[in-house]
Amino acid sequence: MGAALLALAIMLGALAALAHRRDPALHGQALGIARDQLRLIALRLPLALLAASMLGELLPRESLVDLLGPQSGWQGIALASAFGALLPGGPMVSFPFVILLKQAGMGFAPLVALMTAWSVLAVHRVLSFELPLMGTRFVSLRILASLALPPIAGALAVLVDPAAPGG
Amino acid sequence: MNRKGEAMTPRREKSRRPDGMTLFFMAISLVAAALLYRQGGLGAIGIGLEKSMVLLISVSPVVVLALLLAGYAQTLIPRRWVETRLGQSSGRGGTALACLAGALMPGGPFAAFPVVLVLRQSGAALGTCVAFLTAWSVLGLHRMIIWEIPWLGWRFALLRWLISLPLPWLAAWAMYHLDARINSKDAA
Repeated sequence: MGAALLALAIMLGALAALAHRRDPALHGQALGIARDQLRLIALRLPLALLAASMLGELLPRESLVDLLGPQSGWQGIALASAFGALLPGGPMVSFPFVILLKQAGMGFAPLVALMTAWSVLAVHRVLSFELPLMGTRFVSLRILASLALPPIAGALAVLVDPAAPGG
Repeated sequence: MNRKGEAMTPRREKSRRPDGMTLFFMAISLVAAALLYRQGGLGAIGIGLEKSMVLLISVSPVVVLALLLAGYAQTLIPRRWVETRLGQSSGRGGTALACLAGALMPGGPFAAFPVVLVLRQSGAALGTCVAFLTAWSVLGLHRMIIWEIPWLGWRFALLRWLISLPLPWLAAWAMYHLDARINSKDAA
């Protein structure tokens, strides 16, 4: 966590310097965007964490590890892909869930498959943004073209790291 | 951008009601807490509360820094630039550029989808649009920095990112072939 903070601070400093050189008025714009976002998550984020932690205490660990653990193989990847595609909402909702599943013993490959499915197929985002903007033909073609991506990512994850890395 | 908060600055407490998502999380927390109480009494609820507090404290400073970073990134990478550069390019170079732009594109779906729409309308190939969208969703540095690294760790985030590198290309390739197939059927 310390390294993440430090890296973020360095990047922030660099971008702020860049913005300052281009136009000092950009500081105000950037702060405005950040403040709007912060206002949006100020209440939701703590509540999402609370909900995920409470659910995490309830989750039956053994059955989860059987279904989605490091030894769950192809079935785990397939199940995780399906679950990820159906997981609604943005990163604020899904990340507490992902942490919860990771802490409960979900394997690396199923986790990668789940996150890929959630990123690429996200039902929620398709319905609220993509369909109205891009139309049915584009959306159905894109989803067809992307269906195989979560299992492919899961398979690559098995190749890259069979023993799930601890974060 | 959401400017709703600005419009209701006076007497904010009264005019601002909790939105659907907030209520949803509240409901989940309450139901889970009730079930926990039945399982292990107040102690079990206490453990859940403690865990969420630890998470909140460890994540908050990173989230604040990351939001500032995202704010600067959004002001420095103007949408117009992405749109004109990608609209003119095509073929393999176009796919590569679309992947790069998608990975760098800051902001949520409200920022990314208008770009795809403009790309499509300005005649960019379907494959380029899909490469951009896929790269934005699986390679997006913005989401990786704000959410993935602080929550899941560097190692996890980096490995997942590397694994995902070929995905936009695969999607663009599949899109190209699907489109060609459907078009040839339509013509026949």
